[in-house]
Amino acid sequence: MSRARPIANPAARMASLFAAVVLLAAPGVPAATTPRVGPPPASKVTPELSVHGNPEGISWGGHGELRLGHDRVRGTSDPEWFSVGRVNGFARARLADRWRLAGEGTWDRATDDFVLERVELTYRWERTLHAHGGIFPAPLGRTNLSHDAPRNDFAEHSLVATQLVGVPNAMLGLGVRGAAGGGQRPMTYEIDLVTGFSDGLIIDSPGGTRLPIGRNNYGDNNGLPSVVGRIEFHPSRDAEWGIAAQSGPYNQTEIGGMTVDGRRWVHLIVADGATTLAGVRVVAETGVAFVDVPPGLLGLYAEDQWGASVEASRTLWDPLFGSWRQSALRVAVRGDAVDLDRGLRGDSRHRVSASLNLHHRPRAVARFGWYYELQRDRFDNETPHAGVTFTAASYF
Amino acid sequence: MSYGRVPQDDGRIAPQAKGRPRVMHSARRARRAAWFDPAVVAICALALAPLGCGDLLTTKPPAGTRFDQPLDGLGNGELGDFQDGQTQFRRAFSISEGLGPIFNNVSCASCHSGDGRGIPANTLTRFSRAGDLALAEGGPQIQDKAIPGAEPERLPVGVEVSHRLPPPVFGVGLVEAITDSTILANEDAGDGDGDGISGRVNWVTPPAFVPATEPGAGPGLRVGRFGRKAQVSSLLQQTVDAYHQDMGITSSFRSVENTNPLSNVVVPGLDGAPDPEVGGQAVNDVMQYMRMLAPPSPGEMTPRREQGATLFATATCASCHIPSLRTGAHEIEALADRDVVLFSDLIVHDLGDGLADNRPDGGADGHEWRTAPLWGLRIAREFLNGALFLLHDGRARSVEEAVRLHGGEAAGARDAFVAMSADERAALLDFVESR
Repeated sequence: MSRARPIANPAARMASLFAAVVLLAAPGVPAATTPRVGPPPASKVTPELSVHGNPEGISWGGHGELRLGHDRVRGTSDPEWFSVGRVNGFARARLADRWRLAGEGTWDRATDDFVLERVELTYRWERTLHAHGGIFPAPLGRTNLSHDAPRNDFAEHSLVATQLVGVPNAMLGLGVRGAAGGGQRPMTYEIDLVTGFSDGLIIDSPGGTRLPIGRNNYGDNNGLPSVVGRIEFHPSRDAEWGIAAQSGPYNQTEIGGMTVDGRRWVHLIVADGATTLAGVRVVAETGVAFVDVPPGLLGLYAEDQWGASVEASRTLWDPLFGSWRQSALRVAVRGDAVDLDRGLRGDSRHRVSASLNLHHRPRAVARFGWYYELQRDRFDNETPHAGVTFTAASYF
Repeated sequence: MSYGRVPQDDGRIAPQAKGRPRVMHSARRARRAAWFDPAVVAICALALAPLGCGDLLTTKPPAGTRFDQPLDGLGNGELGDFQDGQTQFRRAFSISEGLGPIFNNVSCASCHSGDGRGIPANTLTRFSRAGDLALAEGGPQIQDKAIPGAEPERLPVGVEVSHRLPPPVFGVGLVEAITDSTILANEDAGDGDGDGISGRVNWVTPPAFVPATEPGAGPGLRVGRFGRKAQVSSLLQQTVDAYHQDMGITSSFRSVENTNPLSNVVVPGLDGAPDPEVGGQAVNDVMQYMRMLAPPSPGEMTPRREQGATLFATATCASCHIPSLRTGAHEIEALADRDVVLFSDLIVHDLGDGLADNRPDGGADGHEWRTAPLWGLRIAREFLNGALFLLHDGRARSVEEAVRLHGGEAAGARDAFVAMSADERAALLDFVESR
């Protein structure tokens, strides 16, 4: 399982504290939604949910998820049967006509860590052009931009999201978001200069290159920002296609004033798409990473990684109960895979998941799910993991 | 994410039927969907039902089919220790946790596939110069990986080199529990019986960091039994050295980092972790884990394998690959006073020029190798992607190839094998590969 880096430097601690204060003091936006003023972000615009607030333009909210599971590894049960899946809090303040401030923090079971996802100041230049700065989710794929627990069809994010992108993956930086093309289906874009991944993807990573361990880098360590950008197209009402890329150095080159290594780069490309075919919603995401590995670690740390996921979901009954108009029963299946070292046979994960979901639209969902995963070590020995889960997630 | 849509009444005109236009209303499509979707779900459920919950939620492998299973008869406390040790054995170290500065791999499990033997890519390179361990040149082992800021070691020119495939780690507790007298009983250093086989014990001196209370430790020379040349007498020594040499992890037993003595790059504190990087408990956990690892079960004896067993004995293979040795007293009851079917005498033999590495190790010379236990061969391929790597450096890709590469004291057995009919050889190989 990936592990987020602890917030190490004082500036990041201050940013965390600031966000916590904002979250506590401010009355929301649904998590993972960018302020709705102006153009849609490069991610899909999501409806605002669970907004509490007052007329002065301060709003807050959050979402959480509980998980009951029976998980087994090669026939042996995991003793943990009940856990909190995620807890998220978010807040937004309208500072002036053109200024917005948003904060968001998440604790995620998969990473067992608190992640500061957003401390973001946005300036609404025009309706179709926003400038923003602070800590914000890198626009690396649709999952990273929209991963609120009640909106997921599965208890766990896809392997691409968790093992390659490192959802939730937020970075410190600044940039612009906008829309072009006009009409009802504009092309949206985002381009930012960010701190990028840290050398944690190598230094803190046991057993091989793991990008998620270098995520949530709130302070630059190499004097050169990374560039991340995304464009998204909406060819029809139900379809959207996006491609994102990030490129930049990740490593610290000096220890105690002595140069220990040259500058090394990491490149990540993520493509995603969603469409509806014959009533079935199909969503796919794929990513590939290229990492410049120090020569002394070649052979053990991966230079190329790849992953993909495809999920299909369909509403079975809507509403499920006539007197409960917001109820809906959905079924979803997903196949996903990630190869954590393309130069090696092994070091990969493949998983299939299925979920039957009772939605209380759009605020909550109860899911009954099953997954089966084969994890392969660097010798290509496989270890089967499987489980049945019951999860409940809601905005609050 | 979309929540799907109720079919809309789009009033679409369908192809004309029975003389009048037919409008497909959404209600009709909704009715069809009402039975269609649950039916699909039901069919999928029925299709999966035969698998049962067990298969859908993974099943335990049958006993004796893996290398990482505990011995039978362990107590609850011992099983707890086994679990703790397994966690440590599989723990991969990051650079910030102390990996390096120079090393070979990141965890114990990274070298021993499924707790079995390694692969050629993980082969360790040992070297010496004129019998000396060449510590000033980075000996006795090349660490070919290094963290940023450090230089990996390179093989000096003109040294004696020995490539060592990581051996299986299961059953080492049983090997440890075999008494010295049992091993010494098979020694025939001067070939007193004139059979051409003259194995001898590799007497070694355990390092000072091994407490005298540990099996294989204490003052004076001890019977070496671990390693390709039986150059190690103590399981604790083997474990501590693997942490220190293979992973660059200091422990309370060896707390000074291993560095590249020939490197011009010296940046103190590179790996970012204070020494010792693991405590004695972690080392002991791993040692106890390995002690309690059970060897896999041998395959069933069939008439063909019975024939192979007989041929194995008549060809004098069993003179060195002694089928069974008996353990003595041990603090772990499951290890004490039992027959160990390992097919080895645990002493060193001259295997000829072809296999010689010309590098002494302890009391063993450059031609001598410890008789390799044959247990676990039955499932070895399952953990090596279907391949097999035998002999000290993995050069043999099959049992037959390994046999044919034997020389020296084993030349007679090899010749007897070669002289057999193809059917007899197949029976013998079937027997060996079923152990």
